Amino acid sequence: MDSVKLKVSYAPFVHTKDSIESVMYNVALALAPATVMSIYLFGMPALLVTVICIVSCIGFEWLMDTIRKKPASCLDGSAFVTGLLLALNVPSNLPIWMLVVGSFIAIAAAKHVFGGLGHNIFNPALVARVFLLVSFPAAMTSWPVPFSIDMQTAASPLGILKTDGVEAAMKSLDLMNGFYGTMNGSMGETSALALLAGAAWLFYKRYITIYIPFTMLGSVLLFSAIFHMIDPSAYAPPLFHLVTGGLILGAFFMATDMVTSPLSIRGQVIFGLGCGLLTAVIRLWGGYPEGVSFAILIMNGFVPLIDNWDLNERKAIHQKKSEKK
Amino acid sequence: MKTFNTGGIHPPESKFTGNSAIEVMPLPAELAIPMNQHLGKPAKPIVKLNDEVKKGQLIGEADGFISANVHASTSGKIKAIKSHPHPGGQYAMTIFITPDGKDEWAEGLDTVAADWKRFSKDEILKKIKDAGIVGMGGAGFPTNVKLSPPPDKKIDTIILNGAECEPFLTADHRLMVESAEQVVIGMEIMASLLPAPVKLAIGVESNKPDAIAALEKFAAPKQIEVVSLKTKYPQGAEKQLINAITGRKVAEGELPFDKGCIVQNIGTAAAVFDAVCRNRPLIERVLTVSGMEITQRKNISARIGTGFKDIIAFCGSMSDKTNQVISGGPMMGKAIFSLDVPVVKTTSGILFINNRSLDKSRERTCIRCGRCVEVCPQGLAPWLLANTAQLKQFDEIQLIGLANCTECGSCTYVCPSGRELVHWIKYAKALVSSRQKRKSA
Amino acid sequence: MNMISDAFLPAVSSLGAVALALGIIIHYVSKKFHVEDDPTVKLVNGILPGVNCGACGFPSCGQFAEVLVETRNPAMTCPVGGADLAAKLGETLGMAMAEPKPQTAVVLCQGNNDVARQSAEYLGIQDCWAATQAFAGPKQCRYSCLGLGSCIAWCDFGAMRLENGLIVIDKDLCTGCAACIPACPTGVLVMQNKQAARYFIACNSHDKGAGTKKACDAGCIACQKCVKVCEDNAIVIDNFLARIVQDKCTACGKCIEVCPTKVNCIRLENDLNAVKQKQAS
Repeated sequence: MDSVKLKVSYAPFVHTKDSIESVMYNVALALAPATVMSIYLFGMPALLVTVICIVSCIGFEWLMDTIRKKPASCLDGSAFVTGLLLALNVPSNLPIWMLVVGSFIAIAAAKHVFGGLGHNIFNPALVARVFLLVSFPAAMTSWPVPFSIDMQTAASPLGILKTDGVEAAMKSLDLMNGFYGTMNGSMGETSALALLAGAAWLFYKRYITIYIPFTMLGSVLLFSAIFHMIDPSAYAPPLFHLVTGGLILGAFFMATDMVTSPLSIRGQVIFGLGCGLLTAVIRLWGGYPEGVSFAILIMNGFVPLIDNWDLNERKAIHQKKSEKK
Repeated sequence: MKTFNTGGIHPPESKFTGNSAIEVMPLPAELAIPMNQHLGKPAKPIVKLNDEVKKGQLIGEADGFISANVHASTSGKIKAIKSHPHPGGQYAMTIFITPDGKDEWAEGLDTVAADWKRFSKDEILKKIKDAGIVGMGGAGFPTNVKLSPPPDKKIDTIILNGAECEPFLTADHRLMVESAEQVVIGMEIMASLLPAPVKLAIGVESNKPDAIAALEKFAAPKQIEVVSLKTKYPQGAEKQLINAITGRKVAEGELPFDKGCIVQNIGTAAAVFDAVCRNRPLIERVLTVSGMEITQRKNISARIGTGFKDIIAFCGSMSDKTNQVISGGPMMGKAIFSLDVPVVKTTSGILFINNRSLDKSRERTCIRCGRCVEVCPQGLAPWLLANTAQLKQFDEIQLIGLANCTECGSCTYVCPSGRELVHWIKYAKALVSSRQKRKSA
Repeated sequence: MNMISDAFLPAVSSLGAVALALGIIIHYVSKKFHVEDDPTVKLVNGILPGVNCGACGFPSCGQFAEVLVETRNPAMTCPVGGADLAAKLGETLGMAMAEPKPQTAVVLCQGNNDVARQSAEYLGIQDCWAATQAFAGPKQCRYSCLGLGSCIAWCDFGAMRLENGLIVIDKDLCTGCAACIPACPTGVLVMQNKQAARYFIACNSHDKGAGTKKACDAGCIACQKCVKVCEDNAIVIDNFLARIVQDKCTACGKCIEVCPTKVNCIRLENDLNAVKQKQAS
């Protein structure tokens, strides 16, 4: 008994086993089906892209920590997830040096410039994707065809929709193929099924809530359905929008990023609605065929405003109460 | 099944002692009885060094309206009156008694059980006050004060809190099983003190079916409802319990009175029975000794003032891996800083644990996951409160509901970044009140 | 040529027109709503230290300057600037300013990790106020400096540092703004007159002698020896703690010789030799 040295801390004395690591690696685990699927579809180049992105992200994280004289956080999983998401957002035939540049943008410019994990305003992987998209548009929009041995490339269904109209786009794609994933696109976008399986895991572990993904998907569906009804020859059906492009990846894994989404439920609903509407608007009338990344990044910028609105609401409730007294 | 409507968590229950009967702990070689075992002003010592006292004799007199009497837990000699470590974390004026081994009751105490209906309201209230009964759930609010609500507040419900939602603790559970009749009568006595007849309800978490059955037997004939509550922490917090049973919401700055409710603890009801029917002051209590690092986990009935060291000896020994000894439950208890502390009226349990998450640098950056907002039973944003506290914005923090936090600890429990959210909130509360004191001074 | 007139010219001329219009509006508005600044306020503000420490009772130096110029109250002093500043202010405003009594913060505790016994190890939030919410403090003496250094963050002048579990104040840097006082939950920080060389008791423990001795080697055990030896009747014992009445102490140093504690609990405020030399000359 005398050998016991008492230690004092404040209650509670029990904690969940959750940690930053467990959250991040569970997200990585949830992305595993989509990653495996993309390697199955696009072969070894996809594996290479994934490994390069993850390794370079972790490397830049370590470098930035060292420069900023912060305790090393490169293995806490956040850089791992950023790298994985970046890999899933690019075509599998992207040159290696572009991947490294993308990783640098994600970790250094989008994350550590703002103060590192927890302080970044924009989703690092999306910033990197958009940076690559506007810098190297040709490389970023020639998508490899699944199962092709000689790296044959083609436009994605959304690209066809933009250039050749609804009919051609619908012809290029069987909706069920879109769902299972054998269509042209970036590594992680193709298989809705694999992504949904991963998202189900995150819901089960309660790392994401239903509010953002469902309002986002719902608003895209609703918006595109309205215009499809008005003019079916000019606007693609809603289900086409649902399975093509990065909508499912974006809605379940990018928009729900904890750091860059609002904390309150109604904030999340507004955020999801905004993401969905912007996505639909960009897809229907924008210059780019795909709008998910831009939509989420724009709404990321609104998160402080949404959170502040929630904060003011709390204060207003308090003030009303004290007036009553 | 009823439950409160916002937030809540499900920590592992770890109720190892739910089926072990209460064991009476033998008299220790020394008793250390602190003068502040309740909320409010400490009692005034009214005995001198070397005085002979009898069991149940008044040794500390209530000082002011919100205060409570303190009694000798056994017969013996006053050995010292000095400042001594208190399980609440501070030092307190403490009276030391060396027992003479006779354990003799003072005159007029410990009588044969009488029918409480013989006594008038004033007599009952005086008996409760004289017996020094305080809320035995943890806060220690003097029971007689709680039972005399301001006349303008209409009370329509008395709730007995048998939720015992804290992990490990089973003291109330055993009390409900073994002394169900006393508990029910104690509740009746308390209800009789109010001007109008009220609704009576006992809230018990559904993980204690034997307690519910035992209470039903005595409660049903007396129109007392035994409510089975969902097992969820903090079901037994006053505001959450009221919400679960009546559906009413006690808002910021309001007391249960304002919503027509009085909540009392199971132990308090049993103590009221003892005081009114048997003339026994509050000199012993049931508590749970548990945790992973003690050899024999037990429910014991110990005298107020029994040292923690004596209890360790009675329950085998604690392992060398123990790094924290907790007075109370693991969610809202206090880690004691010295094993010299005694059992007081509000000690609901003693836990011996090996807390692996202890580290000075355990707090990491907030990743805005929102789990704390999700689980907060008061609907607050704990991360925001903690951030505001860290920035020392003590005017701002009061506007976002600082006073509304009940410090249940759910947010710290779930935080994946290991932030000490409740501790930051507590820190802000301390500084806000110190600033107010300085301003008014 | 064609390109310039077609695309370049309209752009330049339209932008130029907008710029001109806005410029005229801005000029008009600045003339119309011009606020006359009191030049003396600016002058006074320039003299003030500009650290916004709040020692004068105003939230900022600027507000102090405004109120001073408006009320011309000679009793308003800036503790940070001291006598020099008071003279300068008087010169600027053409009046005699009261001189502030220079003060310094002192720590009424010498319980560093060598002399003070530790109680349980504290692993919560490393802040003194947070620690007091968990328990009485990491040292056995509950009146002591807790040694977590919350006051350091409140000092605008870098005069405080943590040394071996005890706060040490650099008296040359301390300006006497008293910002640190409310940061201490145990109240071991107090303000004291800076210039007079006087002794003080560097202990805050109101425990009885035996309790103090058990917890710390440098604690006042209220033995009365210093009270008896003091010829100026400057030492009183109040609730088991000696206290030196500053006005009566003549810094004779007799008390320091009789103090039985291992680490002397009686401390001299300023350098005794310097004062003695002054008295001799």
